[in-house]
Amino acid sequence: MRSLSISLLSLTLTLLVIANAYYQKKQFYPSVVYITKSNPSMAVIYIQAFICVWITGKIMRKIFFGQLRTTEFEHLMERSWYAVTETCLAFTVFRDDFNPKFVAVFTLLLFLKSFHWLAEDRVDYMERSPVISWLFHIRVLSLLLLLGSLDLHFIQHAYQSTVSKGASVQLVFGFEYAILLTVVINIAIKYGLHSVDLNSETPWDNKAVFLLYTELVMGLIKVILYFAFVAIMVRIYTLPLFAFRPMYYTIRNFKKAFSDVILSRRAIHNMNTLYPDATPEELQAADNVCIICREEMTTASKKLPCNHIFHTACLRSWFQRQQTCPTCRLNILRNPTNNNTRPAAAAPPRPPQPPFMNPFFAGQNPFQMFQPPNMDNHQPPPQARPAEGGADQTGPPPQPPTGANLPPFVFPPFPFVPFLPPPPMPPQNFASLSTEELQRMEGNERENVEARIQCLRNIQMLLDAAVVMMQQYSTTVLLSNQVPPMAPNATPPPNVFQTNNPSWNNPPNQSDTPKVAKVAPTTNAPQASPSTETPESSVESSFDKPTTSKEGMSQDLSQDPSQVSQEEVIRRRRLQKFEQQTVETE
Amino acid sequence: MAGSALRRLMAEYKQLTLNPPEGIIAGPINEENFFEWEALITGPEGTCFEGGVFPAKLVFPADYPLSPPKMQFTCEMFHPNIYSDGRVCISILHAPGDDPMGYESSAERWSPVQSVEKILLSVVSMLAEPNDESGANVDAAKMWREHRDEFNRIAEKIVRRTLGIPT
Repeated sequence: MRSLSISLLSLTLTLLVIANAYYQKKQFYPSVVYITKSNPSMAVIYIQAFICVWITGKIMRKIFFGQLRTTEFEHLMERSWYAVTETCLAFTVFRDDFNPKFVAVFTLLLFLKSFHWLAEDRVDYMERSPVISWLFHIRVLSLLLLLGSLDLHFIQHAYQSTVSKGASVQLVFGFEYAILLTVVINIAIKYGLHSVDLNSETPWDNKAVFLLYTELVMGLIKVILYFAFVAIMVRIYTLPLFAFRPMYYTIRNFKKAFSDVILSRRAIHNMNTLYPDATPEELQAADNVCIICREEMTTASKKLPCNHIFHTACLRSWFQRQQTCPTCRLNILRNPTNNNTRPAAAAPPRPPQPPFMNPFFAGQNPFQMFQPPNMDNHQPPPQARPAEGGADQTGPPPQPPTGANLPPFVFPPFPFVPFLPPPPMPPQNFASLSTEELQRMEGNERENVEARIQCLRNIQMLLDAAVVMMQQYSTTVLLSNQVPPMAPNATPPPNVFQTNNPSWNNPPNQSDTPKVAKVAPTTNAPQASPSTETPESSVESSFDKPTTSKEGMSQDLSQDPSQVSQEEVIRRRRLQKFEQQTVETE
Repeated sequence: MAGSALRRLMAEYKQLTLNPPEGIIAGPINEENFFEWEALITGPEGTCFEGGVFPAKLVFPADYPLSPPKMQFTCEMFHPNIYSDGRVCISILHAPGDDPMGYESSAERWSPVQSVEKILLSVVSMLAEPNDESGANVDAAKMWREHRDEFNRIAEKIVRRTLGIPT
């Protein structure tokens, strides 16, 4: 209603202006001159021209699109504002050429641009509506033909004008229409794909892939065009600020299309290599409805390691976005090595770990994240094949645990080494893997090699530690056998306990490397042997109170040795107990 | 053959029409465009929204069900998890990856397993039990936490308004 009144008002004003001119000059030519010379009259005429363009636009829109949908209209308004702003920016570059004709040509460009946008939206709409009439096809086809020929015409015009008259604002037009032509081609390809899909009896799975590649190629052409344009403009005029926003979006879209293509390729590759096709029996057993598209699965279905079955095409488009199972969100990229064993969902309890690991990681299971969930085939666990430890790492090497998340270690019988990456669990069965698979698992990158070396170092350290422990243990046994008959001097036997016992309880106070610890018991042993001549009584005194704490033992030295034989028995019993403890904790 | 998104939406529409869950009606506004739906949700019983009938609009993306739809109440709402313009903020409507509030685990996010029915049921339970940690409407969250009486009063007013009863 408002637009109608505005049009009427403008029409009356124009008629008034013309009537006034004709009334004053009485003849056609002088009245035209009069109007062009008078600024207010020209303003009215310009407004009238603008409204004419607007009305033409409405009529064309009615012809080619019918009623616009809300989203289409919103898109149109949003893009128009940007386009108008950019056009104004472009005016600043070409302010010398500024004249009504120039403005008219720019208006025409905007006008055509808006039709390109609408055509794009309309063709996208094809995917959304179940009713696509013949009218729709005729409209889209004729519009595309019209827009394409107009674009071509203007490109040719701009080219000829640039060649004959040198660089001018026509450069901008030529470039803009070239971009619009790519848009038309893009829309036409999309339209073709959608029509083929609509007319086919079965769903066309590869359409998405074709669309993706169209997007990629068109994006590339657009990016090249923009770069060429900016380079030319910088050389001839100045930096074309007005082209930056669309250029940025074009580059971004191209980048997105590029990564989409990569992701899609990877998804297809994974699909073809990693996951088995679902067998008819499995399809029968399962619900038989693909949870992604809610349609029955008859053919072309894939089974994920978690036992969930989907259409291949549905799964592919989902994996393009995320590498998880849609149903249970199992990360499917975690276990890309093996696909012929049973799925993790039905995994039996984990096989026990090699015993020597346990004291370190009593709090948690460090192998949780390294063990491929589908590598369970009821085999006895390997007897610690740590040499192949690196082979399991298909991803990055294990993170050495930092001080904060070190598991609480209960009873480390030797000096603790702060950095101890958990040695990864080797796969349990290499027989099922081919040579290539093994090689791929092992990897030959620097990280993998480093991880392997680190793993070997850890093993060495563990072995060293075990040796130290064995030595301490044998020393203790030796002493317990030696002491009673020989009665060495007062100090050494308590020394053994004093120096060693605290180290069982709070190892960080002790020396940090196994080497130093290795020395400690050996130095104690010679001290123990010459102690044979010391009076027996003083030795026994150190074990005076069996119930006292170990710290208290050193203070008992001065106590009177009265009941030697009785204490002897208690002492032996304690040593036995101690031995048992050591064995258990080992 | 139509696109997969369209086919799935038609399947869901059929399902919702044949077995409508209690208190929920949903369907395309116009059957020529299956990507814009309207839903009517009745306020869950025993809550301050009881008895209300709340209209909402669902807009589906072209790649549905890979991406979640957007939901927006078209009536006035006052709720901790509904923005003042009616947009609904629940984790099921957020694609894994974008986390507007920064606390949701990806397990409760959108995945193709979800459906319109599940979304609407989640919204019903959201009406019953607001999550005051996600402050889509901070005022409402604060009021719900601290002045429950006042919140209930406002909710009742909204319920009356949706039913066309003068307050």
